[in-house]
Amino acid sequence: MRIVVGGVGLVTALGVGVAENLTAIRQGRSGIAAEPALLKTLHHLPVGELAMSNEALQTRLGLPEAATLSRTALLGMLAVQEALADARVPEGLRKGLVSATSVGGMDLTEHFFAEFLVNDRAGRLREVRMHDCAASTEAIARYNDIRGYRTTISTACSSAANAILAGERLIRHGVVDCCVVGGTDALSAFTLNGFKSLMILDAEPCRPFDESRQGLNLGEGAGYLVLMRAEDAAKCYCRVAGVANSNDAFHQTASSEEGEGAFLAMSEALRRAGVAPEAVDYINVHGTGTGNNDRSEGQALRRLFGAKMPPFSSTKGFTGHTLAAAGGVEAVLSAVAVHEGFIYPNLRFTTPIAGLELIPETTFRTDVEVRCVLSNSFGFGGNCSSVVFTKEEK
Amino acid sequence: MEKLIEELKQHLIEELNLEDITPADIDAEAPLFGDGLGLDSIDALEIILILEKNYGVRLANSAEAKPVFYSVKTLAEYVMQHRQ
Amino acid sequence: MGCYIERVVCEREVTHDAKELIPDPAMRRRMSRVVKMGVMTAVECMGGVEHIDRLDTLVTATGWGCLADSERFLRTLIVEREQLLNPTPFIQSTFNTVGGQVALLRHNHCYNVTYVHRGHSFEDALLDARLRMLDGDGKEVLVGAFDEQTPSQHRIMGRMGLFRRVQDGEGAVFVKLTTTQRDGVVAELTTLDFPTEPLDETSCRARYATTDRTALVWNDYAEAGCYPTASAHAFARAVRMLSAEVPEVVVYHSYMGSTPTVIVVRWVGSLV
Repeated sequence: MRIVVGGVGLVTALGVGVAENLTAIRQGRSGIAAEPALLKTLHHLPVGELAMSNEALQTRLGLPEAATLSRTALLGMLAVQEALADARVPEGLRKGLVSATSVGGMDLTEHFFAEFLVNDRAGRLREVRMHDCAASTEAIARYNDIRGYRTTISTACSSAANAILAGERLIRHGVVDCCVVGGTDALSAFTLNGFKSLMILDAEPCRPFDESRQGLNLGEGAGYLVLMRAEDAAKCYCRVAGVANSNDAFHQTASSEEGEGAFLAMSEALRRAGVAPEAVDYINVHGTGTGNNDRSEGQALRRLFGAKMPPFSSTKGFTGHTLAAAGGVEAVLSAVAVHEGFIYPNLRFTTPIAGLELIPETTFRTDVEVRCVLSNSFGFGGNCSSVVFTKEEK
Repeated sequence: MEKLIEELKQHLIEELNLEDITPADIDAEAPLFGDGLGLDSIDALEIILILEKNYGVRLANSAEAKPVFYSVKTLAEYVMQHRQ
Repeated sequence: MGCYIERVVCEREVTHDAKELIPDPAMRRRMSRVVKMGVMTAVECMGGVEHIDRLDTLVTATGWGCLADSERFLRTLIVEREQLLNPTPFIQSTFNTVGGQVALLRHNHCYNVTYVHRGHSFEDALLDARLRMLDGDGKEVLVGAFDEQTPSQHRIMGRMGLFRRVQDGEGAVFVKLTTTQRDGVVAELTTLDFPTEPLDETSCRARYATTDRTALVWNDYAEAGCYPTASAHAFARAVRMLSAEVPEVVVYHSYMGSTPTVIVVRWVGSLV
């Protein structure tokens, strides 16, 4: 059975919709601002924040003003709406949803908890009803009329890539006919302070794969893909050729020096796709911009590709690190890369990491044929996932 | 200095939740990371907090701080020089 | 291809102490209560830490995740006005912490995924494991569920009026699955279903029972109280109920009235 990407939807700091995102990337315009405009925090740190309040998102979605929905759910609802409109799923197919999130309704919980801490009878209960991860998934499903099997995956920053893995398998085994997969995460004070406490936030816009990199910038967004059997798809971006997950099993947060988990995930995804490393035309790397991730991922890339390194870039310089959504956001960009023949630039790169000499693409390229793309997503708990998309003619 | 060393040991045991270890078990000159107490990068972040919260001593960058983190004694020396 | 149950262990059945099950003191000292409970139950289920080596699939489930650590970090963030925060509760609050820590105990690089979908997180994890087994990717599989209570969570859910009819609870359950019908196998998982509508006992029996001696375990919170992955405890109880007289048990669960799940287990005791 051939499973393909039949539709895509994207919301990031670059804008709402795949088109707005691509325009920004083509123009080399980053979504990273010097500090958050909407998120309530005392820190002045660069973030990739969507310039739309929750009220504006609700209006755009046609939801009543009084509705209390987490920002994570709102971002996801928008991206899934776009993906389903794009795919035009035939009537009668059983639609499922595998959604990834790491913060869930934390934006609302933060607000509730500040009041609850002072007085445990205070705080509006409707603000904690969306705390758990499943709440965003169910809200997205309800809004987009997805009535089949629904679930939520949370494996930190590799979550959405694992949702792709799960969705592909659910279709293959006939649990659903068509599956919306991806992830959503809103900015929150919780995650901003969490990464700050780990001292891995760059005070400047991030510089993935650059020798001078000082850390990541947090972002927010949602990226979803409609996976379907090739014969059901009205439109076809690419084939989901291979997805794999492996565990670095080195440290709760840090990646191993030699990038064992990353190496295993990439090798296994390519093996499943039946693609040799030489056949990869573009890699959308995890590339967070932290010293540890980029060195470790770089080592894994060198081990797998040797001297024949394909063009690669991290798009996190545009969007920031959108955590559980990252694998979805980057899978959407990767699917479009195969469909349109794009290679995206890596922003703010000047000097390769000493000893690795890996030089990412720095211009938006449209002059190449892109038949196979590899997308990497790695997370806490050693969780490493890779997705391989290949060209599929309709 | 001796008093500060004992105090630091106590902070380390409490903040890093070192089980079955008493201040007497920690050799002030033995390495904290790797073979010694077996601390890691997350502990380094917690030690930065211990210094800042208790002594007002700020260490900006954990890479520069490496020699300071060598042992309880080197930590104590750094605190003596920089405390406010 | 069969999906055989070798062993099911609940948190209260853990007999070994933490130092034996989690030999690395550096890992132990950062673990919150729920992480320790989850990891210890997992290792006990494997029959010792060294047996983690043979796993090729590790799937965990939690409805609430590591609540106490999430709450601790959030509380400090608010009280300390975002200054001088300890990173440990943030790191450990991640939903896949238990799965990650089990792998880390033995540096096992295998497939490792975490489901967080309220009342059917555990069943989602079982489905993932089962499909991996059908694909030939999973032969030695560990699936587990865990959730913890905290005073704030209890207070908030109490205010929502959710405990009028049920006692709230917490717990951890791990199950070791294998594709081989070998010695030591205690039961077979025959059916896993996600009905779109609630069922009553008669229709549930009509749809899933294959014998007239089949027992039903119906929204059972007797074991450990009501919490999102409580169906894992009901599942453990079902496996223990199996005998020549009760050759099949159907576990029906609908957490707080949400879409139900059904697990059917069958006795294979005659083999042993």
